[in-house]
Amino acid sequence: MMGHNDSSVAEKKSSDPTNDIPNFNSENLQSNMKTIYYSRTFLSIIGGVIAGISGFTSLTGFIFYFLVMAITSVGLIAKAGFSIHSYFDSWNRVVLDGFFSGLMSFVLFWTFAYDIVHIF
Amino acid sequence: MAEDLVLDTAIRDWVLIPLSVVMVLIGVLRHFVAKLMRSNQVPDAKIVKEGQVVVRARNLRASANFIPPKSFRARRLYFSNEENGLLYVPKGQAQNAQAQMFSDPNMAMDMMKKNLSMIIPQTLTFAWVNFFFSGFVAAKIPFPLTQRFRSMLQNGIDLSTVDVSYVSSRSWYFLNLFGLRGLFSLILGEENATDDTQRMMQMSGFGFDPTKSLGAEKDSLDIVQHDWALPKFEQRAEAVLRKAL
Repeated sequence: MMGHNDSSVAEKKSSDPTNDIPNFNSENLQSNMKTIYYSRTFLSIIGGVIAGISGFTSLTGFIFYFLVMAITSVGLIAKAGFSIHSYFDSWNRVVLDGFFSGLMSFVLFWTFAYDIVHIF
Repeated sequence: MAEDLVLDTAIRDWVLIPLSVVMVLIGVLRHFVAKLMRSNQVPDAKIVKEGQVVVRARNLRASANFIPPKSFRARRLYFSNEENGLLYVPKGQAQNAQAQMFSDPNMAMDMMKKNLSMIIPQTLTFAWVNFFFSGFVAAKIPFPLTQRFRSMLQNGIDLSTVDVSYVSSRSWYFLNLFGLRGLFSLILGEENATDDTQRMMQMSGFGFDPTKSLGAEKDSLDIVQHDWALPKFEQRAEAVLRKAL
């Protein structure tokens, strides 16, 4: 399920770990943020399809969405080798950023898969 | 839980899938048309200059701690000096920039074109959906909603006892409209022309108001506390080199 490898480029170092002063390369930082966004979008689409096929309804489905987002965060942290500070400027970026941006896509594909499998 | 309706397979084949496919294709089409129609905009020299000044001030702010205090202050004075500082713009000029923006024919045409290219396909598709696909239940959304949403979601369906989860195709259209943004950003790359909400946000913050951004930069530059981070540099260099040995 770690399909985010398809859509993510190797993350680029955005700060030099030997310096005490955090010094960020903004271009790389932005490209890393884009990687996060793509990963989340892709996984929320896949998560939507899975939720629809499995027949989750209402609250279970939303809990599944948060689960998928948490897995995305864990995957991103693992890919960054657990040293967040050399790739991003704060923990919040990796964990919380773009949390809700995948929600609409998730709901769309969830509805789609659910209808195709269960109603029709 | 209310009764579980079983819907005709034909609805799935002829409504849900075609609608989604059409919307994806229209989005792709819009993206390429926008790319082709993008006129060559000669950037106004004055605006570019101001933008670059803002960038310089921002760089100064970001790396203030790496230069000695005196030189930082000298640079700051250069920017925010009352008489001929780069960032200081008298209030009288504020209105001019916006008026110029509006009367500049190229810019106005561009905005108009972008607006139209966004609104027309949406309107057309909506009209098409309403005309062909109204009057029946199209899909079931997997989560329950309150009765208030009934009028919004079940537009063509005249039965009031049907569960609010069963929606008409109009709401399927809206669901697609919002949900496909993510898909477009994946398949078309960034900077695609289908990101409507971003466009709408840009519309609301209309004038690229140079004086406001300059004023904001000046204020933030004034706020910066200079913290000379390099005095201990000899110790740090020594530590690093020692590690290397």
